[in-house]
Amino acid sequence: MSLASEVAESSQHSGGAAARGSREPVNVLIVGVGGQGVIMVSKVLASLCQAHGLQVKQSEVHGMAKRGGSVFSHVRFGKQVWSPTIPKGDVDILLALEWAEGLRWLPQLRAETGIFICDTKRIVPPFACLNRRQGAPMRYSRETPAEVIAHVAEAYAVDATRMADELGNERAANTVLVGALSTAMEFPLADWERVLAEFVPRKTVGVNLEAFRLGRSWIEEARRTAPDTSDPQGQGLAAAVVPSTVRVEIEAQWCKSCDICVKLCPERCLRLNSERIAELTDPAKCTGCRLCEWLCPDFAIRVHLQPAAAVA
Amino acid sequence: MNDPIVLEGNAAVEEFDVRKYIRLQMMPHFLCPGCGHGIALRALLWAVHELGIDKDRLAVVSGIGCAGRLSAYIDANTFHVTHGRPLAFASGLALVRPDLHVVVITGDGDCLAIGGNHFIHTCRRNLKLTCLMLNNEVYGMTGGQVSPTTSETRITTTTQLGNAEPHFDACALAAAAGAGFVGREVTHHVPKLKDVMRAALEHPGFAFVEVMSDCTEIFGRKNDMGSSPEMILRQKSEIRPSAYRDTVETPFRPNTLPTGVLMCNERPEYGAAYRQYAQTVKSAGDGKQKRG
Ligand SMILES: Cc1ncc(C[n+]2csc(CCOP(=O)(O)OP(=O)(O)O)c2C)c(N)n1
Ligand code: SF4
Ligand code: SF4
Repeated sequence: MSLASEVAESSQHSGGAAARGSREPVNVLIVGVGGQGVIMVSKVLASLCQAHGLQVKQSEVHGMAKRGGSVFSHVRFGKQVWSPTIPKGDVDILLALEWAEGLRWLPQLRAETGIFICDTKRIVPPFACLNRRQGAPMRYSRETPAEVIAHVAEAYAVDATRMADELGNERAANTVLVGALSTAMEFPLADWERVLAEFVPRKTVGVNLEAFRLGRSWIEEARRTAPDTSDPQGQGLAAAVVPSTVRVEIEAQWCKSCDICVKLCPERCLRLNSERIAELTDPAKCTGCRLCEWLCPDFAIRVHLQPAAAVA
Repeated sequence: MNDPIVLEGNAAVEEFDVRKYIRLQMMPHFLCPGCGHGIALRALLWAVHELGIDKDRLAVVSGIGCAGRLSAYIDANTFHVTHGRPLAFASGLALVRPDLHVVVITGDGDCLAIGGNHFIHTCRRNLKLTCLMLNNEVYGMTGGQVSPTTSETRITTTTQLGNAEPHFDACALAAAAGAGFVGREVTHHVPKLKDVMRAALEHPGFAFVEVMSDCTEIFGRKNDMGSSPEMILRQKSEIRPSAYRDTVETPFRPNTLPTGVLMCNERPEYGAAYRQYAQTVKSAGDGKQKRG
């Protein structure tokens, strides 16, 4: 289903403000990483809806804002809204300011009709790097935008951060996305721009309005052309890192069973065997950090790191 | 051949393998299981490797004790000399052979008790020489007698009720006596220990490094400090650089100890001045011979 038909369908709706004409209320989930402006975007939307005489309920998790953590905000609007939170799987529009956050919340989107608008910007959280093995792949999502789009009723992967950067202010990426979001609703353009100007810092009104229009025209353009499957970002995301292999060599004759390597190995992959000689129990867990090699007072351990290619 | 050494920079294109720097036929070494001295030895050899020091240009002098024994395991020019005198011996060597990297490995007893006098005067002279003092707070080799660095209240064979003597802060002593470079590190942080030793080896004057090392079999056992892994983990939890104290008040961890490079100055190095005097005398002598 194209957005154009969406918009046409919703135009009969009171206030002209629904992506889903027949159903009340409209559920918008806005997600991102602390500091990206999730809350600002939801305030813009809520204020706009209020100005159009609609009831709005908004709830958010913003405690992680300063820590680069996951932030989300529910915005529900319509003639009558009872609960401030969106029931599971009832999201009409998922607006994501960060790629992995978008994927995290994707299951909340209505399977048949949901619209997914997502920045391809990647902010890699520390826990995506938990595997400390050298060359280990990050556990950040490796799906390409094309792969994701194929599974969603209607999806747009927008390189909003780059677009905003080209306008001279990377921080306006969120308004690029607001522009994209605006195409899924029937509020007049002038109202969007008026509310937006109220909520962004005064000095940046100009660039934000430009960003907003850019986001709008980008979506309109994307709607006209066939769904974009070429995805220049995709290859970058999919490029696999070649893991290196680790070999731990233990000189049994020199080991004095002091237990230091066993107790200090951060991965707990060494033990003393029945003869009380150090031995590697779980080669797959070894990250090649060399702590055992450094701390063995008897020079009994040597860690060999080899690029995978060198291993026959 | 006797020209002073110039470091060619880092020759560590090759990965460090400690086995290339030790006398394999002497292994396993005689230290007890878990003894921190072995870790300190590795760090020294690692620093030597990183600086690209040729084994033939490395001279290691050590005194008596478990720490003193380490020179025997290094595949270089090594001298195992009398108790307390490695600095005296090394000073002579460094004066006549400025082309060598002279490194002294000594224990806290060797360096500060019987060798205390040599120690302060070597610091005062500021002769180019690297001294690594492995501080395990005890005379390990002779069965665990109290040493000048034994902390107050610690139990040793000669302080069965706990040590009542205040202990020396070896780094403060070295700095006060005039050493050009003073550093300290624990064996738990091997790469940091290597870096401090490396900086010491590069220093143009007298460089003193105190290594906080664990005597697991005697000191640890007598003081109920647990097994080897527990002792080395204790370094992490109890010995904290003073910077921690400066930024965060740590009332429950009063045992902070400054680590890293504690002092580094450009005091004139003694060897160069000495050689200049010698040269003057020598040329004067040559002149006489010509006349005669
Ligand atoms: C002139 C002389 N006095 C005493 C001794 C006995 N002695 C051998 S090792 C040692 C103590 C060494 O202690 P330390 O320097 O702390 O080294 P550690 O063994 O603890 O590493 C003593 C007193 C000796 N060998 N020579
Ligand atoms: S640290 Fe070395 S001596 Fe101690 S148990 Fe491990 S391999 Fe053996
Ligand atoms: S007595 Fe102490 S210092 Fe000596 S080898 Fe044993 S553990 Fe190390």
